[in-house]
Amino acid sequence: MSRRTYLIKRVLQAIFSIWIIATILFFLFRMGLPDPTAALITEGLNPEQRAAVRAQFGLDAPLWQQYVLFLTNAVQGEFGTSFSYRAPVSEIVWERLANTMILMLMAIILAYGIGVPLGAWLSWRRGSRTDTAGIFVGLMFRSAPMFWTGMIAILIFGVWLSLMPTSGMRTLPYDADGFWDKVLTLDFLWHAVLPVMIVALYYLGSPLLIMRNTMLEVYGEDFIEMARAKGLRERDILYKHAARNALLPVVTQLAVTIGLAAGGQVVVEVVFSWPGLGREILNAVRTSDFPLAQASFLIMAAFVITLNLLVDILYTTLDPRVSFR
Amino acid sequence: MKTKAIWLGASLAATAALTTPVLAQERVPAVEIYTTTEAYDPIRYEGAFIIAEAWRELGLDVTVSPLEFRTLLDRFYSEQEFDATILGWSGRVDRLDPQFFLGTLDSRQAGLGANNPGGYANPDYDALFDAQSREFDIGERQRIVHEMQDLYMGDVPVVVLFHRDEVVAYNNTAFTNMNAMAGEGLYSEWVPMEAEPVGERTTLRIGGPQEPDNVNPLASTSVWGWKWMRLYYDRLVRLSPDVEPVPWAAESVEAVDEVTVDVTLREGMLWHDGEPVTAEDVAFTFNYYMNSEYSYFNAYLAPIASVEATGDLSVRFNLSEPSAPFATITLSQIPILPKHIWEGIDNPEDLTPDQIPTVGSGPFVFDRYDRGEFMSLSTNSDHFHADNIAVDGVEFLIYADAEGVFTALQTGQIDMTAWRMEPGQIPLAEGNDDLTVVSVPDFGYFHMTFNTRRAPFDDRAARRALTMAMDRERMVNVLLDGRGEVGTTVVAPVNAFWHNPFVERFEYDMDAARQELEDAGYSWDDEGRLVR
Repeated sequence: MSRRTYLIKRVLQAIFSIWIIATILFFLFRMGLPDPTAALITEGLNPEQRAAVRAQFGLDAPLWQQYVLFLTNAVQGEFGTSFSYRAPVSEIVWERLANTMILMLMAIILAYGIGVPLGAWLSWRRGSRTDTAGIFVGLMFRSAPMFWTGMIAILIFGVWLSLMPTSGMRTLPYDADGFWDKVLTLDFLWHAVLPVMIVALYYLGSPLLIMRNTMLEVYGEDFIEMARAKGLRERDILYKHAARNALLPVVTQLAVTIGLAAGGQVVVEVVFSWPGLGREILNAVRTSDFPLAQASFLIMAAFVITLNLLVDILYTTLDPRVSFR
Repeated sequence: MKTKAIWLGASLAATAALTTPVLAQERVPAVEIYTTTEAYDPIRYEGAFIIAEAWRELGLDVTVSPLEFRTLLDRFYSEQEFDATILGWSGRVDRLDPQFFLGTLDSRQAGLGANNPGGYANPDYDALFDAQSREFDIGERQRIVHEMQDLYMGDVPVVVLFHRDEVVAYNNTAFTNMNAMAGEGLYSEWVPMEAEPVGERTTLRIGGPQEPDNVNPLASTSVWGWKWMRLYYDRLVRLSPDVEPVPWAAESVEAVDEVTVDVTLREGMLWHDGEPVTAEDVAFTFNYYMNSEYSYFNAYLAPIASVEATGDLSVRFNLSEPSAPFATITLSQIPILPKHIWEGIDNPEDLTPDQIPTVGSGPFVFDRYDRGEFMSLSTNSDHFHADNIAVDGVEFLIYADAEGVFTALQTGQIDMTAWRMEPGQIPLAEGNDDLTVVSVPDFGYFHMTFNTRRAPFDDRAARRALTMAMDRERMVNVLLDGRGEVGTTVVAPVNAFWHNPFVERFEYDMDAARQELEDAGYSWDDEGRLVR
C-alpha cells in the first residue's frame, strides 16, 4: 500500500469515527438528560411558557429534523446557540478550550520535559536508592487524587503563606483584549503556577515510568552491546543510543495525553476555579444545555482522534520499522 | 412499581375480632418517596429517610428513590409521576407577597407542568385565592390570606418540612454596615448601596459559585441574572429590607380606582448614556415585555391591560382586574429599559452577548462581564441615590464551587459570599476574627408534596397521620444543625404580616398518627402492615 492510499484511508476512518460519535452524542443527550426547560418551573413558568421556550430552543421539531440540522451545522463548524448563555456555542467552546489547553500544555511540557530525562537517568541507576525514591514519588503523585493535592497546595501556598493566588487566571481589575493579551502576562503565569504544578506532578509518573522501563528493555538489545564493545562512554550510550530508541511508547503516551487534555482536568479546573472547558462541560450537562454539551464532547473526541491519526503518521517517520500495512 | 397485594384471608381473620362490620380490607399500596441525590443535597436526602423510617413504623411499605435534580423536577412537575416528593421553593423577594406560594395549592395550577403537582383541589380555597388577589384593602387581604392557610392546613396536601437559615459571611476588616435581608442574605440589592468600606479597597467584592445565565433583560431566566441586573436597572418601586414597597424611580404611585394606577416619575433621572428617563421609556418597557416572547415576567405582567404615557413624567397603568400584588410585585420586579436603545431591536431574545445593551438608569453602571471569571459595575454618581452610596463599584467573582468561594473569603480576595456557606465552613468562619457570620431566616421552604390523586395520599386522614409521623424537629436539629425552623404553612413565620400562626401544627406524635388512622378505619394485619 502506498503512503498516499494509507493516509487517505486513515483520514476517512477518522471522519467516520467522528460522525459516529456525533450521532451517539446527539441521541444520548436527548434521551439521557432531562428536559432543559425543567429548571424553569422553579422560576415559576407555567406549561405554555415552557412550551414557548422549548420552541425557541428548536426542541419542538421532530427529532430527525433536529439531527439533520445539527449535522449540517456541525460540518460548517456551527454548533448553534447555548440554551442558557444564549451565546453562540462555538465562541464559548473555543474560548474555554484555549484556557484549558494553555494550562494543560504547560503542565504536559513540564511533566514530559522532566519525566523523560529523569526516567532515562533512573533506568541507568536501576536498583539504587535514587531509583526507588524516583519511582515512589512518580507513583505517589500519579495516584494521589488531584482535588486533594490541589486543596493542600491552596491551603499551604494560598491560605497559610498567602504567597500564591488560588483561583482564576488573573488579578482584578484587569483589562485584556483577546486571548494572547490575556495570557502573555506575568500575572497570568503567577496564577497558573499552582494548577500547572498540580497537573504536572500528576502527569509526571507516566513518562517517568514508561521511559525507565522501556530503557531497561532497550539495554538488553544487541546494538547496545555493540556500542559498549565499541568503547563508547556510558553517557553517550544512554542518551544517544538507548534513549532515542525508547522514545516511541512515550510519544504515544504524549499524544494520548494531549488528546485527552482537551477535556481538561475537571477536578483541577474546579479546585482552582479555572475557566476551562472541563468546568463548562460539567455545567452544560447539569443544565441540559444540549448544544454546548454536544459541541464540547465532539471537539474532545475530534481532538483525540486527530492526535491518534497524527501519531500514526508520525510513527512512520520516527520508526522506519513501522510500515504502511 | 406499585403492587396491590390483596390479603383477604389473613387480614379478615385479624380484623374480624376488632371491627364489627366485617369488610374485606386490603393493604395500603407501597409508596415511593422521591428526593434529591445525596450529592446534590444531603439534607433533603437524609430527610427522606427520616420520614420513611417513621412511615414504616406505621406499617407502610416505603422506598426512598433519590433522583438527579432535573429528573426529579421533570417527574414531579412535567409528568406528575410520583407518590410523594421532597423539593423546595427558593425565597425570592417577590415571593414575600403571598400570591405565589398560595398559588401552589390552587386547583387551576394542577395541570401538567404547573405549580400544584400534588393536585390539591378545594373550591373554597380557589375562591379565597381570587378574593385575596383582588382585595385592595390590606387588612382585609391579610384576613383572607390567614383564612386560606387555616383552610388548607387541615387537609395537608403539602407539608412544609423546614425553612433553612441562610448563613453567609463577610470580611469585617474590609466593609461594614452589611445588613442581611430575609431570603436574600447579603447579596440583596441594598447591601451594595449601604456597605461602607473600612479597608483600602473601595469596591465591594462579592464571590459566588453561581453566575448569570446571561445578562439579556429579555432572555435571562435565572435568579443570578436578575440579582446582578437589578443593580444597574432601576425599577419603579424597590422592596425595602423590611419588604415594604419604597417608591424608587417612581416619585409616587397612586391608585386612581381599583383598575387604574398612576405613576409619577422622579425628575432629572438620566440613562447611563446621558439621555433623560421619561414616561415614554416606562410605557415602552412594559409594552415591550408584554409583546415579547420572554415569559419570565408573565405572571407579573398578567394584571396589566395597557400602559400609556400621560405626560413627560406620568404613566397610567390600566389593569384588567383589581390586583393587590401589583404595586409590591409588578412594579418592583420589572426593570425600566431605555426606549431609544431597545425600540430598534425586534428579536431581543436572539442577541449575542456582545450585542446586549447594558444601559440602565440604576445606581450602578455596567462595566464588564467575563463569563466564568468576573463581572463589574461602577457607581453612578448621577443617580438620585448616589449620595448614600459609599462604594466606588461592585465586583462579582465567579468560582467553580463553594470551596473556592470560602478560600477567597478567608484570603481577603472577596468581601462577602453571595450564596450560603457549606455547613462545614460555618464553624471555620466563626472562628476567624476577620469574618462576621450572618444567619437570616428564609421564607423559601423545603416541602414534601403528596400526590393527592393516588392512594394512600388521596385520603385526607392518611395524609394527616403521615404528617404527624414526620419528626421535623429532628430534621432541623440534626440535619440543619439547628440553623432553621420547623415549617408550618407555605407562608413562612418570618413573613410575619401574612403568616397565620394559629393553624394546626402537626407536631411529631406517632400515637396520634396511629389514632388518626384507626379513626379513619385503617388497621394493621398480622405482619403489622397497614390495611384498609
